[in-house]
Amino acid sequence: MSAAERVLVVGGGPGGLEAARGAADLGAEVLLVEAKAELGGTPWEAYATLTPHLKPTRELMAEVVGQVASHPRVDVRTDTRVVASEGEAGHFQVTLEQGGARTVESVGAVIVATGFQHFDPGRETQMYGYYEYDDVITLVDAERMMQQGKLVRPSTGAPPKSVAFIQCVGSRDRRIGNQYCSKVCCGIASKQSIEVKHLVPDAKVFIFYIDMRMYGFWEDQLYWKAQEEHKVNYIRGIVTEVIKKGDQLLIKGEDTTMGRPVEVLMDLVILSVGMEPSAGTLEMGRIFQIPREPHGFLATVGEPLDTVSTPVAGVFVAGAAAGPKDLEDTVSMGGAAAMRAVSFLRRKASQSA
Amino acid sequence: MASTYADVSQDEKARLFRQVTQDARFDTYLYGCYECGICVAACPSARFYDFSPRKIAQALAREDVELVYEQMNDDVWNCSQCFSCLRCPRGNNPGGLITIMREVAVNNGLRTTKEALAGYTRIIYKIMTTGTQVSPDMLQEDAFPDWGPQVKEVADHLAVWRRALPPETMHTTALSWQVEERTMRELYAIWKWTGTLDMIAQLDEGLHDIMEEVMDDALEDSGIDAAGPL
Repeated sequence: MSAAERVLVVGGGPGGLEAARGAADLGAEVLLVEAKAELGGTPWEAYATLTPHLKPTRELMAEVVGQVASHPRVDVRTDTRVVASEGEAGHFQVTLEQGGARTVESVGAVIVATGFQHFDPGRETQMYGYYEYDDVITLVDAERMMQQGKLVRPSTGAPPKSVAFIQCVGSRDRRIGNQYCSKVCCGIASKQSIEVKHLVPDAKVFIFYIDMRMYGFWEDQLYWKAQEEHKVNYIRGIVTEVIKKGDQLLIKGEDTTMGRPVEVLMDLVILSVGMEPSAGTLEMGRIFQIPREPHGFLATVGEPLDTVSTPVAGVFVAGAAAGPKDLEDTVSMGGAAAMRAVSFLRRKASQSA
Repeated sequence: MASTYADVSQDEKARLFRQVTQDARFDTYLYGCYECGICVAACPSARFYDFSPRKIAQALAREDVELVYEQMNDDVWNCSQCFSCLRCPRGNNPGGLITIMREVAVNNGLRTTKEALAGYTRIIYKIMTTGTQVSPDMLQEDAFPDWGPQVKEVADHLAVWRRALPPETMHTTALSWQVEERTMRELYAIWKWTGTLDMIAQLDEGLHDIMEEVMDDALEDSGIDAAGPL
């Protein structure tokens, strides 16, 4: 097949799915490569519901997953990795590996949508005893429980009477090395706080934060809703440490707006872990020689008006591979990347004709 | 933190806290607090006293029974009830929360409330028996030395000075202005029937009894049932 109208999309999450659907609908042939067995990416795998409307993830994503999987111009390769690339814009020779077998594919343009991974609370230091105490979990661990329709203390299997979210774990922290805000964790914690109250109505829920970053409609859809309708307690101040006390967790922080220390016992502590570039994103940066911007994500040129073009001609990026993004950003970038990739190839074809 | 009111039981503090939060107005006076401080910035009392309408809202939102009890004994009397704090972007009404807290404090006859309002019993008496808050004859030289020497001249010839005022209804010395008898009877009936008079029973029993007698006599003379219409 000619590379002229063929686009490689790497990653089958929300950004890659939208990019694949968009490019194929514009008439290009799309090769969609996903390392995992299923399409859908991080939300599909790890999130019970999506922010901000608390609707089930798989129900919401089923349409785009189905359309991409059955699209006549999309060639989906799951359990497949991109392992090498040669050539240049218009004529990339990309090596794929699936179950030990390698094939070489010709593509004209590339959209990298390999996303993020959640910050590991044990990466630098053992933050908040995540690997020490059963009842210290992350947002992702909480989502996995909610996928099964429950929220319990891992130590006992019983519903918690008190729950504390700690924000900015792995974000906005010079010592950790991540100076950026991960953008979505305030919204996800607020979303989860509402879900905690649905699952365990009597639980007291606290969110310890530096700033609540609830831009746009999330303000009243999530923040006001959690605080006003569900009486979630937002306390400005970051917890310094979590200590085991009896069968509970003592969290120590400052209630900065009240000007006094806080030491309270919790049944469950949920760490709002931020975003870092995924291993796949770093690997694609290496293979396609895309520079990384100062925070470590894939660099784009032309910000703020062009969000998807990388410094490498013919290589575009969509979603959290380029930095912390919410779903709306990710899907919008998927569409923009599809449009730019297809128009890039057509302009190139008309110039050489 | 050590409690300032350690002699008062937790149960009692919790009971008063519930009276505040279960008030019918409470939910529309406290939605959720940004803790932004705009209410403090707008508050005239906060400029002069160690007083913060933000902390009132926060203590209630945090369900801090201990601190709310402290505030109900102390902070609430530093508020001038001007409602500048309605500037709140969340639509909270810290001044209204203070209104509720004051009412709970008065209805329960807190010792500190009696102390805070001790200087006002004369004014309460004046309002409830005459319908006006102050009267010209309260203006005496020794009571208002800061008003200057002319206070004596005015006090000595009060009736003349008052007659110099254009409205005839202000030619009074024991009242701010002439209140019609019918108006007084209606006010007595309202204060009796709505329980407003009973609010001060916990605060100053003697004052309450005197006023109740004044009101009952007046109502009986005019053939109005002091027990109310129901």
